[in-house]
Amino acid sequence: MFETSLCQILFYVLAALAVLCAAGVVAYRNPVNSAMCMAVCFAMVAAIFFGMGAQFLGIVQLIVYAGAILVLFLFVVMMLDIHDEGQSRGSYIHAAIGVLVAGVFAGLVIKVSINLPGAHDNTCPAITLCESAGELLIGDARKVSPAQTAAPQYGGCLPELSAAAAARLENPAISAADAAKATSIPDVKLLGKCLYTYYNIPFVILGFALLSGTVGAVALARKIRKD
Amino acid sequence: MIPLAHYLILSGILFSIGLAGVLIRKNIIVVFMCLEMMLTASNVALVAFSRAQGTAGVPVYDAQVLSLFITGIAAAEVAIGLALIVAMFRARRTVESSALNSLKD
Repeated sequence: MFETSLCQILFYVLAALAVLCAAGVVAYRNPVNSAMCMAVCFAMVAAIFFGMGAQFLGIVQLIVYAGAILVLFLFVVMMLDIHDEGQSRGSYIHAAIGVLVAGVFAGLVIKVSINLPGAHDNTCPAITLCESAGELLIGDARKVSPAQTAAPQYGGCLPELSAAAAARLENPAISAADAAKATSIPDVKLLGKCLYTYYNIPFVILGFALLSGTVGAVALARKIRKD
Repeated sequence: MIPLAHYLILSGILFSIGLAGVLIRKNIIVVFMCLEMMLTASNVALVAFSRAQGTAGVPVYDAQVLSLFITGIAAAEVAIGLALIVAMFRARRTVESSALNSLKD
């Protein structure tokens, strides 16, 4: 499977680049360099989104983060003309404590991720977790229950996307033969359906939050007259 | 295919680097960039979960909608935060967090 292995190699390369650029954000003394590293990091994350089949979110990530937010950061960095960069880093003890805390957190996340229930015995982690919670068997859920055997095979990997299943979800009345003819998943269509039906009111509230954020930013950043 | 755990590890590492930046750096603008990176890391985890849950071959789009909301709120947050930084620079002529050591000047 050439395509699958290519996807895998791309993911690991992109992930390594994203982590490198993220480290660059912290390491560079000049905020402009940090902002550029952040842009590359977000572009890599967007590419990983594309690889996961979330095309719309990848585009949003590129436009909002690598486009709008980055430009805002750069404008502010250039507007404020920060001159004194020598004192921008604290003492070594301060840095060591920060690295220690973050390292402990990273180790915790990695340990939990590797030991996800169901990661080694071909079941979905969410289903396994629910069942384990029901039977108080977290960490030792080797007992196979009927629901677990009925759960789809998972194998710790993300399941393949199926265009036929997407076509059936989009139009339940479609025949199996027509569904099998579908070649691609209408990602934006399905996401929009979810967004504008179940999450319509939160979406409107998000719009108000953005509006009030814009108004608040203008109110905060305007020059206050002293008279 | 790539295991879900690897996506979660990538997300955790990105989040930890952001956390380290928030703790280490004194420049508030860079601290703010690191905060954005932590939000992005959570987005990676959410999208990976949306794929992993959709065992029928279609992602669960609730997670992706949540990720979209996070992006939108992050945009509003950046606007307000940068306005606050500009206001702080006007008042103190610095963006170092260590310079914020008095309640009233």
